Amino acid sequence: MDAGLDKVEGVWQKETAIVEGMDISGPWNRMFEQRVIWEYTPEIIENIAGVEGAESFAWCYQCAKCVPVCPVDIVGDYGPRKLYRKAQAGIDWTQGPDLWLCTTCANCLRVCPKEVDMVQIMPAVREQALLAGNNVPAELQEALENTFRYGNPLGQPARKREAWVKKAGVPVPLLPKEKRPVEWLWWVECYPSYHPRGIDASIALAKIFNALEVDFAILGREEKCAGDSQRLAGERGLFEMLAEQNIATLSKYEFQRIVVTDPHALNAFRKHYPKYGGEYEVWHYTQLLAQHLGKLKELMTKPLNRKVTFHDPCYLGRHNGEYEAPRQLIQALPGVEFVEMWRCRENGYCCGGGGGGMWLDGYVVNYQNRRLSEQRVLEAIATGADTLVVVCPYEVSRFEDAVKSTGNEGKLEVRDVVELIVEAMGA
Amino acid sequence: MANETVLIIGGGPAGMEAARSVAELGYPALLVEKRDRLGGRPDEEHYAKLTHHFRDAEEMIQELLDAVTSNPNVTIMTSSEVVGCEGEAGNFRVKVRNGASTEDVEVGAIIVATGFQHFDPGRETQMYNYYTFPDVITLADLEGMLKAHQVVRPSNGQTPERVAFIQCVGSRDRQIGNEFCSKVCCGVATKQAIEVKQQLPDARVFIFYIDMRMYGYWEPDLYWPAQEEYKVNYVKGIVSEVLPKGDRLLIRGEDTTMGRPMEVTVDLVVLSVGMEPSEGTRKVAKILDIKQNKYGYIEAGGPTGVDPVATSRHGIFVAGAAAGPADLDDTFSMAGLAAVRAISAIRRLNLAKAV
Repeated sequence: MDAGLDKVEGVWQKETAIVEGMDISGPWNRMFEQRVIWEYTPEIIENIAGVEGAESFAWCYQCAKCVPVCPVDIVGDYGPRKLYRKAQAGIDWTQGPDLWLCTTCANCLRVCPKEVDMVQIMPAVREQALLAGNNVPAELQEALENTFRYGNPLGQPARKREAWVKKAGVPVPLLPKEKRPVEWLWWVECYPSYHPRGIDASIALAKIFNALEVDFAILGREEKCAGDSQRLAGERGLFEMLAEQNIATLSKYEFQRIVVTDPHALNAFRKHYPKYGGEYEVWHYTQLLAQHLGKLKELMTKPLNRKVTFHDPCYLGRHNGEYEAPRQLIQALPGVEFVEMWRCRENGYCCGGGGGGMWLDGYVVNYQNRRLSEQRVLEAIATGADTLVVVCPYEVSRFEDAVKSTGNEGKLEVRDVVELIVEAMGA
Repeated sequence: MANETVLIIGGGPAGMEAARSVAELGYPALLVEKRDRLGGRPDEEHYAKLTHHFRDAEEMIQELLDAVTSNPNVTIMTSSEVVGCEGEAGNFRVKVRNGASTEDVEVGAIIVATGFQHFDPGRETQMYNYYTFPDVITLADLEGMLKAHQVVRPSNGQTPERVAFIQCVGSRDRQIGNEFCSKVCCGVATKQAIEVKQQLPDARVFIFYIDMRMYGYWEPDLYWPAQEEYKVNYVKGIVSEVLPKGDRLLIRGEDTTMGRPMEVTVDLVVLSVGMEPSEGTRKVAKILDIKQNKYGYIEAGGPTGVDPVATSRHGIFVAGAAAGPADLDDTFSMAGLAAVRAISAIRRLNLAKAV
């Protein structure tokens, strides 16, 4: 707990609290915010909307369609509409926690009649905070510094990025050593390279590629974080640096297409790398595997006897329009009953990891009654499924933690779809 | 034979447009106006620009005026009032008073275009202290200021820094008796808010509303530019009272989307007053013995309910805001239709007699 906080009747309160010039110190701080609106402050709206990229913030006409679909509002008091009104009523939310709660999941933009675009607004406004070194949560700062220093947010050495290959048990060619053109350059990304559960999925995917005789190779230690979530957290400069470095690296090698593990990398390659001269044909691994559905079905002979549900990653679904490929793979799994969660596809709930949320779990929990990943795990359990299938490397660790923190250990397994494919292959 | 002349009562936009239409269809039009000049409410109240095309009001009125004065089929009687009416469709005998003299005219059909008046915020409840605080004005007052390029606080002649519009003044109110929405005030207030920002770019402009009713193209043509380009602030929640605070005004209400009380200080309060049937509309309805609705407007719709210019009496038609709150698009549409209906009524009678 921060210094200057006392616990009174089970509630944490500040010893002294001064809100907008008013001393409200006292039990429970008497009230948590000023009641009466004394002044409207269009200048706060204008300041925010004056940031390049954040113009549409000023367009909100308060219809509130965004609020019910905002994953954050389900677990706390938040929503794009509310940010506009707070600014109008004198609260500069860019100076407080609201700046960091948005996961850029884009569900608000999907329903917004005025096209107020939080996916553009948030990185633009966060960049101001980062440049000023003001109101930046420490854990996010650390992940950004790690990315700057080591090329990955986990702070792992670059040379260990390819260490998992030795444990794969199947050939995983390294393009720098292959010295030949390949059809598929597999962009592994950070969590699948370093995180133990990410590595499990990487090994499974390597096994499947081998079984399908896909001509692939990885960059190994030469690969750096694609940087999309850092960009959305406001670090445009860091993103540009990573994009330029990665594009320079890729220019050294011959390949036909890129297959990525991470939907956030997919988003970066498809939408932002072209601005820096990096134009590639990029596929998500579920899209590539769905092309081999016939052969996969032949290889998958072992019934899994599972009831599964599926979580759509925001950056695969809403941001890049792919809902079918993962479902085709799930439906091809032998011995599997597939049930959808009621929030799925275009209206899929966010795991909380996007837009920098991956590095803000300790921070946002102070402003939400539960984490988004916890909310999602409860929704998965409510379907009666025993397995939650994921296709984004952020999610395995997030949801496994959430299963434990919600006291549901043993009730729900979290598996990348490739882990289930390998299980069904008996490999 | 039915008389071919169409009498049009009221020389505002509806009346002039109806007279023009009748004349252009080849029939004689007699246009009777109580004031000493044509132009109606936009002229009388010094409208600057029209909602929603931002057209210059004087210019538009002049075009209508030229159209009726240059057409030999139109006879214009100003400073004249209809004081009596006898007969029936095809043969109405109408008494028109001009000063001390009264003239009898024979006409085949009548179009009532006697219009509306702005709600008086002093009536009933002295709403928002309009008659107490000089810096509380109405849309019509502000329209005149905009026309003169003199948007100031009447109390001291200074430029206002904060301007607040209050919507639905005198409309949608059971206590006042005007339960209807006046239809144009959201658009007019928004148009004026844009003009205030054009003339005073540093002013902060707020519109306090219950719900914004921006029909059709008013949404992209007025509401969206007001917010997105001119930075007009819309706040949901109507103001309950206006109080003095030093030499400024304190407006109190609830900010409903924040769920918090609101007490902010402003320099100029603009009451978005609604429409009511004009005195002329009430009087003429009685003289012509046509039905009025509970609000005093002339009841329109006809037996089918979908004839917006039909009154309760055959051969008498209504156009514009005499029949209820109407914008200029409504007014012009009704005027043209009323002209057609009036001529049809005359022609039908004559065809029937010819057979």
